[in-house]
Amino acid sequence: MLSVITHTPEETEAFAAQAAKQLSPGDLIACRGGMGAGKTAFARGLAKGLGLKDRVSSPTFSLVHEYTQGPLPLYHFDMYRIDGFEELYSTGFFDYLEQDGVLLVEWSENIADALPENAIILEILSIDETTREIHLEGGPF
Amino acid sequence: MKLLAIDTSSRTASCAVVENGILLGEFYANIKLTHSCVILPMVQDLLARLKLSVNEIDCFGVTTGPGSFTGLRIGLSAIKGLAHALGKPCVGVSTLEALAWNLGFPCLVAPVLDARCSQVYTALFSWEQDGTLKRLSPDEALSLTDLEIRLKSLKSSIYLVGDGTELCYNMLQNRIPCLLPSPAQQFLRAASAAFACEQAALQGKTVDAGSLVPAYLRLPQAERELLAKNKH
Repeated sequence: MLSVITHTPEETEAFAAQAAKQLSPGDLIACRGGMGAGKTAFARGLAKGLGLKDRVSSPTFSLVHEYTQGPLPLYHFDMYRIDGFEELYSTGFFDYLEQDGVLLVEWSENIADALPENAIILEILSIDETTREIHLEGGPF
Repeated sequence: MKLLAIDTSSRTASCAVVENGILLGEFYANIKLTHSCVILPMVQDLLARLKLSVNEIDCFGVTTGPGSFTGLRIGLSAIKGLAHALGKPCVGVSTLEALAWNLGFPCLVAPVLDARCSQVYTALFSWEQDGTLKRLSPDEALSLTDLEIRLKSLKSSIYLVGDGTELCYNMLQNRIPCLLPSPAQQFLRAASAAFACEQAALQGKTVDAGSLVPAYLRLPQAERELLAKNKH
């Protein structure tokens, strides 16, 4: 397990960028943590660390954002509105699993039964307004 | 009648041209590449190798499902586009029926496609002594447990084919007499889809491009509830 305490979104981003160096094609990061916990900052760092030039934003309304301008693509999902297997199927989630990219899944609690066994669990806990405790577990961590 | 068929409904992408029961050519790929990047260049190359212009194709065939959500949309969009632009008819066949065409000698066949989370898309077919394919059950999504119950009740050896073969074979091999086709016939091939489409076309089942729709299958109720239950 890899853990860290960060004090600003920039520190969270830097931590994610470091962690990205250890990821391989096909890895899936299942994210837990509420609104405003810093998931988008983490995603931004991850994309930067993977060498991607795309602009990162929260996929709440579009369900998935693809970042492909770099060596290893990142597929960024938000499962907040997903309520059942049919809906998950129609996001194309299972098709992305077959591709050689990294998947970051926000609100992974909603698709707990559909996550692969080797998923990397990312937990972001809000300690106070700006302090975050971040844990990465599974896969290379 | 020259018929071009494509399949992008599961792991593999392929295209084939058949004419009056003869396979003229087939391209196939089982690599982790996006089907949308692969399939049309593949069609273009195949037609070029066969020295055929796309205008010479009389009918366009495609597997309409069940299968991958994105894959079905890619295959259908490509075929609808070609048929619409050229004003030619199209024909859609079940992905599972196309898989059954990988065999062709008297036997029972259960095509199986991995639908994830211990579920498969499946159906049951029988190749008869007279060389016809008979459907014994509709396309449906079953849990692996229900598939086992179904296959056990047949009390006969049965061929498994499709991208769920390995998954099912490993689970069932000691309890049900499962047989496997040759490795070359394990995954869906456009040649098989094309022959299934040719037969359907000869039976008058062609439609115009606008009427071709994907056949997504509902997944078992219990599994859908299970996912939702975890919502906090």
